[in-house]
Amino acid sequence: MSLRSLFEWMDALPSSIALRESLYAFPVLLTIHVVSLVMFAGLVVMMDLRLVGLAYRSTRFSQIQARLFPWQMVGMVFTTLTGLLLFYMQPMRYFGKVYYWLKLALIMLAGLNAIVFHLTTYRSVDQWDTTGPPFKAKVAGVLSIAMWACIVAFGRFAAYDWLTFE
Amino acid sequence: MLLPLFEWFDALRVGDWISNSSYAAPVINVMHLLALVVVFGSLLIVDLRLLGRGMTEQPVASVARAARPWLIGALICMLLTGLPQILSLPIRQYYSPFFWMKMRLLLVALIFTFTLRHKVTLADEARVGPVWGKVVGLTSIALWTLVAVEGRLIGLFS
Repeated sequence: MSLRSLFEWMDALPSSIALRESLYAFPVLLTIHVVSLVMFAGLVVMMDLRLVGLAYRSTRFSQIQARLFPWQMVGMVFTTLTGLLLFYMQPMRYFGKVYYWLKLALIMLAGLNAIVFHLTTYRSVDQWDTTGPPFKAKVAGVLSIAMWACIVAFGRFAAYDWLTFE
Repeated sequence: MLLPLFEWFDALRVGDWISNSSYAAPVINVMHLLALVVVFGSLLIVDLRLLGRGMTEQPVASVARAARPWLIGALICMLLTGLPQILSLPIRQYYSPFFWMKMRLLLVALIFTFTLRHKVTLADEARVGPVWGKVVGLTSIALWTLVAVEGRLIGLFS
């Protein structure tokens, strides 16, 4: 079964059609998706700005990370659930869009960046918490800001018929 | 009442370079959205603290002071990317109920943020008490969320 036929199968499911034909599903889901994404990305960026050394320099990084993490996750849950539903109701709208696939790939990479940072550089946080993040940590912060900015931008660009394939 | 002003915007044709390009409007819109990310980050970090959540190891005033330049900088970027969007389609904005709802809410949110919220975040926490801080934090989140929602709805229904 090809990816395309999987998308077509989803597109024909009664619940997908019902959501697609609903007058309110799209505007309501899209609005929740965007607003919760902005909240999630906002708190991630504030943490990354600390990592890079541009904000909250007098606060230990481990403290910002630990305190903001649960709230970042609240935003992520809302934006992910609404994002999955938006995809589920119109799979064929996104299937051929390069920006949609780039966005998905970047979400994976941003997640990977966070996990690798946690398993490597962050393990020695006790040593650099008071003196300031090392170069490797700053790189992770810059990458995170750049990737989330592109994720927001590509999500918006996926609304247009730019860069499409069959 | 403001229709002549928006007709004048339309007649200025300064928005033509945006309307004539298929990329200008989406790119400006994305920059507006990216600035909104920073607006929400710098607001929420303080509002959560006012609610007794998030960065509780720091005093409210120091969380607010560190967030302030980011909030003001991001709001200036919102203005710089928002005005061209009005000027490119002034008549469409004029007849959008969501545009006017957003502008009213934005005015209230700005006044609230730079008067009452500013005072409460910088005041002595013992004097302000926990209830006022919570009311201000919740009001701030509600107002700015509504501004963002109305903004999204302008594009969806017009």
